[in-house]
Amino acid sequence: MLKIDNLHARIGDTEILKGLSLNLDAGEVHAIMGPNGSGKSTLASILAGREEYEVTEGSITFDGVDLLELDATERAVAGIFLAFQYPVEIPGVSNINFLRSAINSIREQRKEEPISGKDFLAKVKTCGQLVELDGKLRDRSVNEGFSGGEKKRNEIFQMAMLEPKLAVLDETDSGLDIDALRIVSEGVNAMRDANRSFLVITHYQRLLDHIVPDHVHVLANGQIVHSGGKELALELEEKGYDWIVEPQAGKA
Amino acid sequence: MTETTLTPSDAMAERVLKTVRQSGHLDVAPKRQAAAKAALASIPYPTTRDERWKYTRTGRLQKLNFHRANDQPAPAPEVLPGFDAHRLTFVNGRLQSGNALTRQGMFIGPLSSALAQCPEKVQTLESDHFAEDEWFAALQASAPQDGGAILLDDHVTVERPILLHHHMTGGTTVAQPQHLVILGQESKAQVILWTTCDHDATGLVNAAITAEIGERAHLTMEIVQDEQGEAHHIGHHQFRQAASSHLEVRTATARSHWLRNDLHIQQNGQHGDSTFHGCYLPNGRQFVDHHTRIDHAKPDGKSDELYKGLASGSATAVFNGKIMVHPDAQRIEAYQSNANLILGERATVNSKPELEIYADDVRCSHGCTTGQFDDEALFYLRSRGMTETTARNLLVRAFLAEVLDGFRPEIQKHLESVYAERLGWN
Repeated sequence: MLKIDNLHARIGDTEILKGLSLNLDAGEVHAIMGPNGSGKSTLASILAGREEYEVTEGSITFDGVDLLELDATERAVAGIFLAFQYPVEIPGVSNINFLRSAINSIREQRKEEPISGKDFLAKVKTCGQLVELDGKLRDRSVNEGFSGGEKKRNEIFQMAMLEPKLAVLDETDSGLDIDALRIVSEGVNAMRDANRSFLVITHYQRLLDHIVPDHVHVLANGQIVHSGGKELALELEEKGYDWIVEPQAGKA
Repeated sequence: MTETTLTPSDAMAERVLKTVRQSGHLDVAPKRQAAAKAALASIPYPTTRDERWKYTRTGRLQKLNFHRANDQPAPAPEVLPGFDAHRLTFVNGRLQSGNALTRQGMFIGPLSSALAQCPEKVQTLESDHFAEDEWFAALQASAPQDGGAILLDDHVTVERPILLHHHMTGGTTVAQPQHLVILGQESKAQVILWTTCDHDATGLVNAAITAEIGERAHLTMEIVQDEQGEAHHIGHHQFRQAASSHLEVRTATARSHWLRNDLHIQQNGQHGDSTFHGCYLPNGRQFVDHHTRIDHAKPDGKSDELYKGLASGSATAVFNGKIMVHPDAQRIEAYQSNANLILGERATVNSKPELEIYADDVRCSHGCTTGQFDDEALFYLRSRGMTETTARNLLVRAFLAEVLDGFRPEIQKHLESVYAERLGWN
């Protein structure tokens, strides 16, 4: 489904990804772990189509399509969803209005009919329950005045509403207490199925206790340096990254 | 008598007055007219050297070669089709359609009819001296033309909205409509004032609204300036409030090539309450200038001012908001905010708050921001599948929400379609 081959990318003059390769099949959950500054969030941003990053080498194909040829909107239409590490507050736009615009914009680009008011509200109800997002939060302006946990639950709520083929979760566990972590994880688990893949980017192993991955990769210095099964996450928690990551002068 | 060469401003005044008199003006408030004429001769023509006109280039108006408009103009384009209102339509300062409604204690109709039917009711206009200090206001008051008259005695509530529509036809003509609103004690009215111009209009609308709001009376006025073509518009919007009266005036400058509004609110009684919100969306090479002033002359008044603008293309927007708190005006609360989004690389916004406070126990605040689109918000919306157009429209709607939401839904809808089209995203 997603095939990243020898990806090199930079922002300004700083090269961040230095030959990253990764294969993700339909229905799989892959976790990407790694030390700070290793390029985890850069990978998420590039997948979502953030334009500040320049891909200098390599390729990304998604369902056989050259992803790098698509802009951020087209990627969402193709079925990619990024749960932001820092969800953006948008005063004056209600969560509901925002989601309805998004869903209908996607449907229009897919040459589908707009969603009916009834279907939309039914879906809002189901997806809201999934992450215990109450009506008040759904009606408020997008993320405005939300707590850290509410913002992350809102990301998963949006994911459930948009039903992507590939969801990239960028440090979704950061800033979550135990309860919020459980709610968010249960939401993600409920969304798992044979046709939907997840790329879970995290610094800590604890999220992976709840969202159990099929594969775990270690990203360091812009490359995948080690891959394994779910047990690798535990090992990393215990031993840290030093035993895998070759120390490089001047790099964290 | 020897012939003297007229100054450009005298010559312009003469051309305007000649054109207006040919097409017909009203002999309303003769003393005010005489005072305005005298003022016109003594007030200097405003230039960018005057602080109040610093960004407003009025020289171009002197180059307009006014001519009299056709006496039988085509019908004005319909505004707010299907909307139920008492409608009065004026074209080039003359009544085109609409009837006077006269009942016990109330007159709603053209000012020309009010002058004929109930001249005593329009006497209030004599007490308006604003025109004596402003050149363009003096020009307007020297030869006012027909406009709406809403004259309510005490304790009269009019539920049905009153829609005053002024249209200016193509070519370089001039119109000086005078609208008059007088609300007696505890009276209530909702007025929409809508101005349009033809696509090939290049003339000048020099228009006045004069409103007198009685004790505990309530006036809401929605002003929509939706002018096609390359016409010029100067608006003199005067509101005087008695004790415990409420005023809401919302102004949307949707399309206008060159426009200057002077909004002046005087709270002349205790416990006055004024809300004045506005938005402006100039693009291309358009110019929009909102000058506002509120005088808190008496204690315990409140005012809430909020203006928001989008400037795209090479447009220029000006906001100048003056709050004057007089020595007696203790315990007033005055709030002012102006926010602008610059969407064009060559667009300019000049924003200036002016607070003059001569009382010591007041709460005044003001804030002004000018910025660009929030790229992070734009990316967030696009990452959810919205096209750039949808995302930008949503952000513009959100930016303008506080102002737009104050208008009635029919007007909101119209304004939304205007900015979507104006910003070239549809």
